[in-house]
Amino acid sequence: MKIIKAVYNFIVGDMVILIGVTLAMVILALINTVSTLAPLRGFSGPFLVIAVLASLVATLSREAFSSHGN
Amino acid sequence: MQWAIALSAFLASAVEFVEAFTIVLVVGVTVNWRSALLGALAAVATLALLVATVGVALVQWVPLDVLRLVIGILLLLFGLKWLKNAIMRYAGLKALHDEEAIYEQTLAELRTRGEVKASSSRFDLFGFLLSFKSVLLEGLEVAFIVITFGVSTATDAASRSSGIASAAFGALLAGLLVILVGALVRVPLKNVPENTLKFVVGIMLTTFGTFWAGEGFGVEWPFSDAFLFILAAIYLGAAFVLIAWLKRVKKQQRDRALTSQAVPTSKQTQEVAP
Repeated sequence: MKIIKAVYNFIVGDMVILIGVTLAMVILALINTVSTLAPLRGFSGPFLVIAVLASLVATLSREAFSSHGN
Repeated sequence: MQWAIALSAFLASAVEFVEAFTIVLVVGVTVNWRSALLGALAAVATLALLVATVGVALVQWVPLDVLRLVIGILLLLFGLKWLKNAIMRYAGLKALHDEEAIYEQTLAELRTRGEVKASSSRFDLFGFLLSFKSVLLEGLEVAFIVITFGVSTATDAASRSSGIASAAFGALLAGLLVILVGALVRVPLKNVPENTLKFVVGIMLTTFGTFWAGEGFGVEWPFSDAFLFILAAIYLGAAFVLIAWLKRVKKQQRDRALTSQAVPTSKQTQEVAP
């Protein structure tokens, strides 16, 4: 458990970023493998950029508003 | 030589080496320079071994498509972490890294332990281990960046090796520069714009991470590799907007806190007044 936590802290150390990026990757994988989602493949690039920005905004919002009392 | 890779590795490494140098300097000044430098050299050798073995293994055995996807995701996570911290520091939500404060704090800790014996030139295990640990821990991020940047930019095994060499060259140059400047001035390198470097590296890692992760999923970016500049511009613009927004949020929070502090004070005054 300690090792997993150390690796997590070393690579990302932020649950919001980790969930955001993982979610984006899962959706991209689905778009790439499920044939009914094939028409969405052209939007994979913009989707990835938006997902990255959304993760960044989400984690910064959390930090800004959780530090309200400080 | 792949200059974009070398530059990214140089900037990222400079930040980490400045942080490691502060501890090596404390050990050098308080314990002795022999133990400090031996510890730092042992850590650098361990890191070089790590880059050589892991890097070569990745180059030889992992298919490029898989590598780009995995490394793209890792760079994305790593880059977002750096970018988030740099934005928070610019916005005032997190304290700027203060090398002088770290220096004083470590110095005080060593003095409390009675480790101040700079006059002795004998090898000191505690000083060696402290120096080794600080360089190794800070250098692990550098090793990670060198390996990931090096292996994911290329299209074949030969250019992947050249990528690792370019990234390692950038890191080595940064290390030598920090040691040279540090050895000349012998004070914590507080004038190095650490947060600016972290911000730039955060943008670069996020840009490359997005690009390669996208390519791993078969995304065909417009303008091919030139789209890296467009991605960097998008993230740079977004980061500036976020910094301005967070500064405004912080100001509002401070104003609200001041107002709420002022209200009970006036009530108290009324209660005390006859």
